[in-house]
Amino acid sequence: MEEQKSENGKKEFDGFLPFYTNAFDRVFIAVVILIAVHLLWLRFMEPQTAAEIANRARPVELATLLSFLIGFFVVRYG
Amino acid sequence: MYTNSRTGWLLLSPTLLVLIIFGFLPFLYVLFVGFNEWNIFAAEEGLRFSGLDNYRRLVFDDDFTTSVQLTLKFATFAILSELVLGFILAQMLTRNFPGKSLFRIIHTFPLMVAPIAVGAIWRLLVIPGFGPAPFFLDRWFDLTYQIGSYPDQALWTSVIMDVWHWTPFVTLTMLAGLTAIPKEPVEQAKVDGANRFQVFWYVTLPFLRPVLLTTVFIRIMDAIRTVDEVWMLAGGGPGTRFTGIYIWRVVFPRTDYGYGSSISLITLYLTIVLCWLLFIAISGRRKGEVE
Repeated sequence: MEEQKSENGKKEFDGFLPFYTNAFDRVFIAVVILIAVHLLWLRFMEPQTAAEIANRARPVELATLLSFLIGFFVVRYG
Repeated sequence: MYTNSRTGWLLLSPTLLVLIIFGFLPFLYVLFVGFNEWNIFAAEEGLRFSGLDNYRRLVFDDDFTTSVQLTLKFATFAILSELVLGFILAQMLTRNFPGKSLFRIIHTFPLMVAPIAVGAIWRLLVIPGFGPAPFFLDRWFDLTYQIGSYPDQALWTSVIMDVWHWTPFVTLTMLAGLTAIPKEPVEQAKVDGANRFQVFWYVTLPFLRPVLLTTVFIRIMDAIRTVDEVWMLAGGGPGTRFTGIYIWRVVFPRTDYGYGSSISLITLYLTIVLCWLLFIAISGRRKGEVE
């Protein structure tokens, strides 16, 4: 990850994201991803049948874990 | 320039206090209510913590997804039309023509009208059996125009009404941007043999970028939260059930405050994400792009 100074003197990083980012950008993207992953999980992954609900299959906590992992990756290497 | 940061913070503190009290604290309150069941007509009074239940309900709510689709359709067509028309009018106003001052005053009138009055005026124009629009459309083109019966007509009437109301605002911002462009780069491009389109694309548009960005942001935020004028026009009928109107229905007639808060937050989320994506696309922060 390369570091550079933007026009207004702030630190910007050249990570895997398709644009230059500063720390706020990456935290913001992580929060956006956190919300999107949770909404998508609630819509498509959460158990719907009685058997799945009884077995606690694919609970929403997995979405939280997944989004924190993605968030860490974005903040560290984005 | 203030070098002492304490003085700076002291001077900023009244504004920050107002922002925190009237902006940030209500946001936190809505966030809190969004995780609760709260309906004043429910058997159990007061707030009851429900975790993600409101959001669980929201992702399966077809009325909500339809309202988001309609809002995005409305915002896209209205804003694109306003940008094109606003730019053409601003270009026109940079030149001299007879009656320019009068035109500029008349053209700015819709901006001064309150949204609820705009809705009322347009309602009078399009009401079947009374308004001139259905009468003349029927007489000249044999076209049945009833916004209460045809959702598409209601949507397009809302778009046209929004364009009528907000194009002057876009024109004024574009005019400010156009008049701020220095003449030298334009003349230099012309000397170098650039045609009118090339001058527009490579000189005018990059100079207009900050103005364009600000205008689009303001218009997106306004279009997504449109309620009053569309409510006056169509009464929340089919074709105009935008997100703002849906939130109003959930919060006021149904008094479902918890669910209404969660919808409001997701609408805010969509607005922020949309604006941010546009900011990245227009602001030139993408890699490999020359400023």
